[in-house]
Amino acid sequence: MMTQKIHGLLLGAGLLLLAGCSITPTQPEGFEVEPAAPDQPQIRPDPQTSKAALALLGKARAAAQEGNLTVAEAQLERAVRIEPQNAVLWHYMAKLRLHQGQLSQAAGLAAKSNSLDRDNMQLQADNWRIIAHVRYQKGDKAGAQAAQRRAEELLK
Amino acid sequence: MPKKKSSRRRKPVSGQKTRRKAVQPRKKRISRSKPKTGWRRYFTWRYLLLGAVVFTLAWVIYLDIVIRVQFEGKRWALPAQVYGRPLELYAGSPLTPQAFRQELEQLGYRYAYRVSEPGTFYQKGSEFRLYRRAFHFWDGAAPAQLLDVRFGEDVVERVLDPASGEELDIVRLEPPRVGGIYPTHREDRVLVKLEAVPPLLPAGLVAVEDRDFYEHHGVAPRAIARAMLANLKAGATVQGGSTLTQQLVKNFFLSNQRSLWRKANEAVMAVLLEWHYNKDEILEAYLNEIYLGQEKSRAIHGFGLASHFYFDRPIQNLSLPQIATLIALVRGPSYYDPDRHPKRLRKRRDLILSIMAEQGVITPAQASQAKLSGLGVARGQGGDTRYPAFMDLVRRQLQRDYRPEDLTSEGLRIFTTFDPRVQQAAEQAIRRRVQLLDLQRGLQGQLQGAAIVTDTTSGEVLAVVGDRQPRYAGFNRVLDAQRQVGSLIKPAVYLAALEQPDRYTLATPLNDTPIRLQAPDGTVWSPDNYDGESHGTVPLYYALVHSYNQATVRLGMDLGFERIADTLQRLGATREIPPYPSMLLGAVGFTPYEVAGLYQSLASGGFHSPLRVIREVMTAEGERLRRFPLEVQQVVDPAHVTVLVSALHEVTQSGTARSLQQLLPAGLSVAGKTGTTNDLRDSWFAGFSGEHLAVVWLGRDDNQPIGLTGSSGALTVWADILAHIPTRPLSAPVADKVSYHWIDRSSGLLSGEACDNAISLAFVEGSAPTEQATCRAAAAPSTMDRTVNWFKQLFSQ
Repeated sequence: MMTQKIHGLLLGAGLLLLAGCSITPTQPEGFEVEPAAPDQPQIRPDPQTSKAALALLGKARAAAQEGNLTVAEAQLERAVRIEPQNAVLWHYMAKLRLHQGQLSQAAGLAAKSNSLDRDNMQLQADNWRIIAHVRYQKGDKAGAQAAQRRAEELLK
Repeated sequence: MPKKKSSRRRKPVSGQKTRRKAVQPRKKRISRSKPKTGWRRYFTWRYLLLGAVVFTLAWVIYLDIVIRVQFEGKRWALPAQVYGRPLELYAGSPLTPQAFRQELEQLGYRYAYRVSEPGTFYQKGSEFRLYRRAFHFWDGAAPAQLLDVRFGEDVVERVLDPASGEELDIVRLEPPRVGGIYPTHREDRVLVKLEAVPPLLPAGLVAVEDRDFYEHHGVAPRAIARAMLANLKAGATVQGGSTLTQQLVKNFFLSNQRSLWRKANEAVMAVLLEWHYNKDEILEAYLNEIYLGQEKSRAIHGFGLASHFYFDRPIQNLSLPQIATLIALVRGPSYYDPDRHPKRLRKRRDLILSIMAEQGVITPAQASQAKLSGLGVARGQGGDTRYPAFMDLVRRQLQRDYRPEDLTSEGLRIFTTFDPRVQQAAEQAIRRRVQLLDLQRGLQGQLQGAAIVTDTTSGEVLAVVGDRQPRYAGFNRVLDAQRQVGSLIKPAVYLAALEQPDRYTLATPLNDTPIRLQAPDGTVWSPDNYDGESHGTVPLYYALVHSYNQATVRLGMDLGFERIADTLQRLGATREIPPYPSMLLGAVGFTPYEVAGLYQSLASGGFHSPLRVIREVMTAEGERLRRFPLEVQQVVDPAHVTVLVSALHEVTQSGTARSLQQLLPAGLSVAGKTGTTNDLRDSWFAGFSGEHLAVVWLGRDDNQPIGLTGSSGALTVWADILAHIPTRPLSAPVADKVSYHWIDRSSGLLSGEACDNAISLAFVEGSAPTEQATCRAAAAPSTMDRTVNWFKQLFSQ
């Protein structure tokens, strides 16, 4: 069962970003995939992100706010085509897929995002959280725990 | 009266009885009394009659259903409009003023000194002003908009709104129209509406083929009689008795079988068609359905397509003699083939012109004038697209992803990934190189080629060329030529090894020595290297870079087929991989499309994205139907792919593809692999930059040798493509757990940047060699860490 709580949309400073979601599985059974973190900081786009990509992110956010997730998806893909090496854009796509309930795709995109980044620990941790969540939802508890540990280690 | 009737009845019954004597067993006859037999016969006849009526009725109903399904199924609605990718304009987008102008011209923009209406532009040096047309994109409508675009060196510098002077972050041009297709139909057609064809065509058809068309009800006995008479007079078949409606029915069920039963069925169906549909509907269907020619496996149906096919022009632009020629072909496209029987065809065309004059469709003067002109056949490729191979792929993906009933909506708008610039580069490369190589190798026009280009990140298909003549809509080699891939398979073998970094690294010594393998049936297989020599102990990377067969087979046998098949399947192979040793050298058939799918996973760093050609589908009214999102799955550890790619990059530096360094612009680093099959039958190259993946195949359709290796053939086409599109160089991957080390080329031992014969290769952390090679240069050997040096090497080219 998909049991994710979507925390609406966050507002970035000066820049409106895609939805940030915190994930709270309802069957913790002594193990929480993600520590409750409603104030978890939203990943910001890299300062080098082009104006074009930022503009598309804005459009994606606006579409997501209207509940039009496929249009948001299309705008994010446009952004990724412009900056395919931008790990943050891939991360947003992963989050969007999670919203859409496309678990495997969310995990794939999160892994892709991680493969493009070496320095942004918060980003990598968030990607691992997405992966942890997906694994948990798919019944792979050990895998979820491992991913969760990766996320925690990155933030130490 | 009844008495008389009964006596009359009795007679044939008794007559019947005598006939029965021979066949009926005696006892039955004995048990039957005369009057009883009469009644029974009476009922038997009645039932027989009733049965016959019921059967006939059922049969007619059946035929009615059959013909209506056919007719409705082929009633031609608006085709789906297929669009390519919209060009995105933003500061920094890689685009030259020339390419931009070309895009505008392809979109039908008109050059104007005053840019005052949508669809016009003005250029002054590197500055453009254009009035972009309004367009309903999948994600929303964009109004017409005045734009200023300024170019820097090979990039867009700024996009401005001239009214406010404000800089615009990103703007799209409307997407180029690639063509129109009928998604549910396999054939390509150019459909015509009755009111849009030159009136002489239907008038001529009716005059020649069925002059009572507007009077009869599907069949015309009078016409049959007249035709017989005319044919007798002429001493040959000059007229047929079939009505246009009958001919249409015959075309629905093309068959050479000419039995009376069939003719009767066709006649009944013709009457039924006339009952359900009016004359114009039937005539329009006829225009679009009739069989008018054949090119290899491709049937030419309908006058719209035939017009492109024979005269390379739309039907509206046909001249009178051309119209008459097409009408002439109706009677037998093969018998009157313009190539094989031009005289025969011309004679018939002239006859048709005479009939048209005789029937008052044209004047005698027009007819005589028209008879003076030659046939003027100028073969075009036909079809409502310049990109038949790409459209073929679009159609197949639609058919795969949609149920036919979802595609019946009229005038669907299909947004694809097609990139006209990349397509142009691919077409030119194939056209030019294939012709050149064909001449050089004396292949007499037999050399064929295919190419596919995709975006490495998303798996989007940007260009497809399925024939050395890219406009030709025949055999699509990208999708259908399943050919042995030779050494293109090797990266999968080596990746299977590198996925076990504790056992294999790029520096692991391999034995490139003769190997004999015996199959269970006793046959012995002992592969040779391309140069006919064995090279002894070589580092693993070296065997891949130089494509050594013996080392590869030894490595593959160590790994086991299962492991390699598993790697191939994860990369995206859907085909069964045969568990034979020869598979290790690529004795397995893949299409260029499938190869692109496999290499896509390598080009995107271990993430598989299914090749994708359709982004979105929308109805004519602008309702969003469906989106095909980017899909990404990690299939191989990115670290292992990084290691492999560092070796595939070396292939293009010092290996079988080193000639690329002369063919590509300086600084464009790429990775790739050549493929050559036994007796030089297939020439392959698959490789990628940081942005584009291209796979090229050259060979003959009859699988005869072409005298080309991967590097002397396909590689040159590949280089031409990559050199003519703006593309990013291979970027140094940032995968975790990978570091770069200087290695001695021949021994595979640790070396240093300043040492002679050193090469920088990727290693999964902790797996790099520790033993030091002797360094011949002055500088002390040092272990270099991570990307820095690989970067240097990549970009110092």
